[in-house]
Amino acid sequence: MNPRTRHALEFALDNLVWFMLVFVLVVFSIFIPNYFQLGIFANIIEASSVLGVMSIGLALVIITGHMDLSVESVAALGAMAVGILFCSAGIGLGVQLHPEWLMVPVSLLLALIVGGIIGVINGYLVVKVKMSAFIITLASYIWVRGLVLVISGGRSAQDLAPAIRWFGIQRLLGLPLTAWIAISCFVVFSLIMAKTPFGRHLVMIGGNETATFRAGIRVNRNLVIAFVLAGAIAGLAGWLLAIRTSGATANLGVGLLFNAFAAVVIGGVSLKGGVGTLPGVYAGVLLLSAINTAINLMGLPANFTQVIHGMLVLAAVLLDAFKQTIRQRLA
Amino acid sequence: MKKILLAVFGILALAFATLTPAFAQSKGTVYYMVPTLLDEFQTGSVSALELFLKQVGYEMKTLNADNKTDAQQSQMNDVIALKPSAIILAAVDFNALKPSIEAARAAGIPVVEFDRQITSTPSDFTSVAGTVEIGYVAADQAEKLLKAKNGSVKGKILQVLGDPGDPYTLDIQKGFEEKMKAFPDVKIISVPAMQWEASNAGTIVADQMLANPDIDLIFSHAAHLSVAAVASLEAAGKKPGDVMLMSSNGAPVGLDLIRKGWLNVEVEQPLYAQAAAVAMFMDKVVNKQEIKPGEYEVLGLKSTVTKEAWGPNIKIPGAAITKENVDNPAFWGNMKPPSDTVKPIE
Repeated sequence: MNPRTRHALEFALDNLVWFMLVFVLVVFSIFIPNYFQLGIFANIIEASSVLGVMSIGLALVIITGHMDLSVESVAALGAMAVGILFCSAGIGLGVQLHPEWLMVPVSLLLALIVGGIIGVINGYLVVKVKMSAFIITLASYIWVRGLVLVISGGRSAQDLAPAIRWFGIQRLLGLPLTAWIAISCFVVFSLIMAKTPFGRHLVMIGGNETATFRAGIRVNRNLVIAFVLAGAIAGLAGWLLAIRTSGATANLGVGLLFNAFAAVVIGGVSLKGGVGTLPGVYAGVLLLSAINTAINLMGLPANFTQVIHGMLVLAAVLLDAFKQTIRQRLA
Repeated sequence: MKKILLAVFGILALAFATLTPAFAQSKGTVYYMVPTLLDEFQTGSVSALELFLKQVGYEMKTLNADNKTDAQQSQMNDVIALKPSAIILAAVDFNALKPSIEAARAAGIPVVEFDRQITSTPSDFTSVAGTVEIGYVAADQAEKLLKAKNGSVKGKILQVLGDPGDPYTLDIQKGFEEKMKAFPDVKIISVPAMQWEASNAGTIVADQMLANPDIDLIFSHAAHLSVAAVASLEAAGKKPGDVMLMSSNGAPVGLDLIRKGWLNVEVEQPLYAQAAAVAMFMDKVVNKQEIKPGEYEVLGLKSTVTKEAWGPNIKIPGAAITKENVDNPAFWGNMKPPSDTVKPIE
């Protein structure tokens, strides 16, 4: 095999999920009436903003060889905290700050802190107490959702302060600002993962934790930071969710965890750790969103969404195995 | 020291003295098996049932099944072992709970069905607004709204269902579409919001408004879905009144949307009356006395008790809430529990 073919093949393997996304968009545009329009593509990007942000945090932890099942509930708690304080109807307290724009950083900080605290608890128990990440974050998934129910009493907060809601309404180049926030997060964290020692250390930890430790890298500290980041990013996803729905309900975000896992796996992140990039995850998120939109427009029973998601995850895992085989042959 | 001990015993004795009459007055414990607490109607039903049952002398305990059929079945088994005066069941799954109802009744524990009617096996009392009937009321309202807008009953309706695995939403859909069949010029697009999750409803509305910009009416099967629908419409630059909206269950958020001009109609489930009816007939249920068919007034609403194959059944009509009557305190969404005390039926 000549170097040019080899280079092309490696490029295709590295960006397989993007090719899948383009293929799916072309097929849907041809066969589904009304699919091919800028508004629908903007909807796909907008609808994937919450899931996308949540997937970043999840991917960071998975790349280190661990997992965080609590992100969905943490997002719901972040959304509910923002909803209770800054919504004016339902259980919202309608807190007003002057000048009004101050509500934006305060609500964002609140969601980040709420998420960060859960991340600290998860990180401490997993890294310092050496308990299984699966069990600890599963417990957090349950108790944090319970906490949402306790603080809301099962009721909802509605009518988010216009200053915060502005991010969901205001558009730039046809996309709401919430979508731009998600895109910015992907750009920033992709750079962190690719260009900073911290990002490279996370990948190394996922590849071989012992070897990384022996290389003098502070594994425990980096792992705790990964969990805290996952929590805080989930809090940010909650903030976006509250903006998107103009409030918060006790069941807000239910089902997002499995979609986030699907996006991360489809995006090429290995559940064993040490492998994966965030642009791939974003492509996975967009792919799921494109399929959801297609199902919405086709009027198919929604159960098909889950069947298709399941099949996609399975296909992604099989493709991943196939990619590894080809890479071994290329080596 | 002695004085302190005497004072402590004195306080304890006083506390017991105040507690004892309360125990003596209680006619027994009733368990309420609520399907979920992630929904304002269900949360409201817990407080309403507790309030009214207390007024007629019963203590109520609640178990939440988190929308899981198997969890509710296990809870039923546990409660049967506790031998309560009665069980009030709002079933997660209408059919799967049938064996549990039969087991409870075989153990001599009366079962009251609340909000979700089970017709496949007998029970001791059923208090419902009727989910299919909610669909009928919604269809009547849709007919009026479309006629007012288009001159005749024609147009396009986006129906945002709840979770497709929930019989509650399927029944509303059944009732709604059954009545709307009479109008062939009305096109109904039905899309389910998985797990009743609000942002899913928002996505559906955003997508459909692009694919079908001529949608006249959006009918969501719960008020919290309408909140997300409104958020999507707002993000698309729509103003109140640009697209007609309707939802069902009468939750507080729905009433707020009516006040803001976004929602045209909210089909109410008469939560307070449904709960009050259970309390009014609880003595008869517990003592296994006959419940006579006929008309009864429940919190001012004319309600009909009928003898059905599955047992006595009270049906309380749901109301259509519009901007004209939105402030009526009788609607549970206004969160003003009735001040009148419920009395047991003699």
